[in-house]
Amino acid sequence: MNGRGRFLLRRAAWALVVVFVVITFNFFLFRVLPGDPAKAGARDPRLSQASIVALTQRFGLDKPVLLNFEAGADPFDSQYFAYLGALSRADLGMSYAFRDEPVAELLGDALVNTLWLILPAQILAIVFGIALGLLAAWRRGTALDVVSLTFSLFMWSLPTFFLAILLLVFGASYLDLPTGGKVTIGAEYASFWEELADIARHMAMPTLAFTLVLLGEYMLIMRSSVLDIFSEDYILTAKAKGLSTFRIIRDHALRNAMLPMVTLVAINLGFTVAGAIQVEEVFSWPGIGDLTVEAISQRDYPVLQGAFLLIAVAVVLANLVADVVYGWLDPRVTHA
Amino acid sequence: MRRVNRASGLAVVVVLGIILAACGGQTTTSVAPSGSPGASAPSTATGGTVRIGIGGSADSLNPGNGLLSEAYDLYELVYDTPIGMNQQGEFIPELATEWSVAEDGVTWTMTIRDDAVFHDGEPVTAEDVAFSIQLYKDTQDFPYLPSYASYFETIEAPDDTTVVLTTAEPIGNFEANIVFMYVLPKHIWEDVEDPIEFQNEEMIGSGPFALGEFRRREFARLEANADYWNGAPFVDEVIFQTIRNADARIQALINGEVDAVAEVPPTAVPSLRNAENVHLHVADVAAGGSIRDILFNMVAPEDCPREEGGECTGHPALQEVEVRRALAMAVDKQQLIDVALLGLGSQGVGFVPPGLGDYFIGTEADIPYDAAGANALLDQAGYTDTDGDGIRECKAGQDCPTGDLTLRFHYADDIDTAPREAELLQDMWAAIGVRIEIQGLDPDTLTSICCPTFGYDIILWGWGSDPDPGFLLGVTTCAEIPTGYSETGYCNEEYDQLYEEQGTETDREARIAIVHQMQQMLLDDVPYIVPFYEQTVEAWRTDTFSGWLDDNPTFGLAAPENLTVLRPLE
Repeated sequence: MNGRGRFLLRRAAWALVVVFVVITFNFFLFRVLPGDPAKAGARDPRLSQASIVALTQRFGLDKPVLLNFEAGADPFDSQYFAYLGALSRADLGMSYAFRDEPVAELLGDALVNTLWLILPAQILAIVFGIALGLLAAWRRGTALDVVSLTFSLFMWSLPTFFLAILLLVFGASYLDLPTGGKVTIGAEYASFWEELADIARHMAMPTLAFTLVLLGEYMLIMRSSVLDIFSEDYILTAKAKGLSTFRIIRDHALRNAMLPMVTLVAINLGFTVAGAIQVEEVFSWPGIGDLTVEAISQRDYPVLQGAFLLIAVAVVLANLVADVVYGWLDPRVTHA
Repeated sequence: MRRVNRASGLAVVVVLGIILAACGGQTTTSVAPSGSPGASAPSTATGGTVRIGIGGSADSLNPGNGLLSEAYDLYELVYDTPIGMNQQGEFIPELATEWSVAEDGVTWTMTIRDDAVFHDGEPVTAEDVAFSIQLYKDTQDFPYLPSYASYFETIEAPDDTTVVLTTAEPIGNFEANIVFMYVLPKHIWEDVEDPIEFQNEEMIGSGPFALGEFRRREFARLEANADYWNGAPFVDEVIFQTIRNADARIQALINGEVDAVAEVPPTAVPSLRNAENVHLHVADVAAGGSIRDILFNMVAPEDCPREEGGECTGHPALQEVEVRRALAMAVDKQQLIDVALLGLGSQGVGFVPPGLGDYFIGTEADIPYDAAGANALLDQAGYTDTDGDGIRECKAGQDCPTGDLTLRFHYADDIDTAPREAELLQDMWAAIGVRIEIQGLDPDTLTSICCPTFGYDIILWGWGSDPDPGFLLGVTTCAEIPTGYSETGYCNEEYDQLYEEQGTETDREARIAIVHQMQQMLLDDVPYIVPFYEQTVEAWRTDTFSGWLDDNPTFGLAAPENLTVLRPLE
């Protein structure tokens, strides 16, 4: 096996270990919280003792947490191993709040909605962020640099929910855009394109909000990264050889300047599966972030546990992808 | 667990029971079948889609499983119950045309109307009614409904129009236990293996509206039931759209994206007052709002439920009724309402809110605000500020943690206005030489220190009421101390005796008298202070539909009574 193959294998194995640790941590995190989950699940003060017992059994909370030490019992007949077993069947349990709804289904629906929102926003932010950062670095010190730098700093530091609300009011008041949701409810569409147009109208402002928030960060990192590269000796050499600025950027600077960007984009991608919580909340976008907020307010532990797991897995996966891309951009890391 | 604030279950649910009245309980007698001449409404047009912006989303389409008020809004519209409740809080016929109790006091007979049909065309029979009540009784895992159905020992349908129920002993609140018995079609539900896991996606009922489409956390679309026994609604559709953010919800109303919004935050009230074509509706006392309460840990050492984890570390001074009364006298309720709620609340008295009509004891019975009197009372009780730090010292022999009247004060952090209320209380009580240390806690943590642990001094929290006063009056009985249902540890045998009596008293007037007596007892003993009842603010556009019922204080936007009479403007 060559160096790259070994590198990838090592990374993948490591990612698996991390996911397993997260699963375990996640499991115990929700069991050290105060309050009785059976009661939390039932939410009724008038619950009879019989109902509490029934609910406790329904949620499997009558078993020991980690290992079953009872004489004659299977030592693995415990909540933890039951959870692992269920996970291996992609069963995340039932929601407390939406009692008849499996968690996996809830998360699946929400994830699709979140991807609708974050993928376009990420792509736009990456393209414009990189372009703007590159331009600013290239034209360093000019009005263009100052303006784009100020703009990016402003967007980066603006609280997301505030920006989102401003955009919502602006879009609703001046552009006749809807204030929330994914489609016009109850609308009947003449064609697929009409439906797509409706979704686009709903997506416009949340996507813009999310793009602006991400864009500022990407631009700043890209700009400083390119500036770093510009001070390298090989750029000087390239200049001395008489290459055009365009070729210097394309052939020498861009690839190296992309390294920190890859890390950033990967990490952001992972985290944004958590949904732009604030953006989703303001625009009533039924994604993961919105679901998480609702689960918190309902103290819906199974959903939260599932959401945390999903987010963690997304971050780990995104990092794995970053490692792979890194290895391709900078072959030195595969030999480390 | 307690029900606090919006969305959290029974509280709201049950209050909604009052507001919503029941499906089809169209008390407005002028309601004529759709399109018929002579209707007194200004508009005679029919059709159209009413869009309502709400903050949440129904948690389940299965009536047994619902926890949130948003879910009960749907149940009320899609299902019928045997007995409904009108806006005056009176029980009215719905699927049951009449009901009565036999001489023995425990056998109840309901006559079921024969002209009701389910949305799938099957007739509604007494068999369906009996089956539904039996299902709620048998499915103990359902969160709320079994507790109502559990009163009935036997539930039978001897013929198609008669349901006979028996109770173990006479009960005084038969109707209140029937108003949430949503009648399910037996031909669908009898094949359901596990009612808890049944998603009920078709949601076949017999109410004025039928489910069109439901997308959890997005919307619920309801279609008018043209064959409704009490006349079809005038509009074609009702859409409940989830707009979680309050500002976005208000904006959607101003834009005309929705026709009405529930849950208007007090801060949005001024801007809506000035908005064009928008009518603001402040639903009065107990209408969908919660009861706020300030609880004292007064559990007596001998009542401490040690086996259930009781720690009972309450401040010893709170054992004395004079101290609790002084704390109550020092609370300026109007100031709390004006400052914390921006005026959108009404004066609290006890756990029986004005929405329960005659059962409410009246505001005159309340302990009046009197800071000077409170100071005098504490002086008399022997608490004086001897070291001049502004806080009264404990009496000799009292085992106070700090030696003075410094009390721990916790509030539930899911109540938006609680931090402000806590600060106001801090100032009010500082004026009588009592200091509080404020800490907000999430409801689960609060439950774990509250009850039956009794590891607190004072808690600011909330409750919601049931259509029957028996529900919250039961909180303060001795029997509930070990169950964790009683938060104060109040125990009074005389009170418990009255509680038993009101439960079996079948004469309404006599029951009212007992319920008043119990409320007076709690005002005298001060286990808690109820500073106010929150008001609900709703708003609707005046240029899209007419006929919104805003003349009744205990009315909710989503009520069947409202949605069945709306008409589109030409």
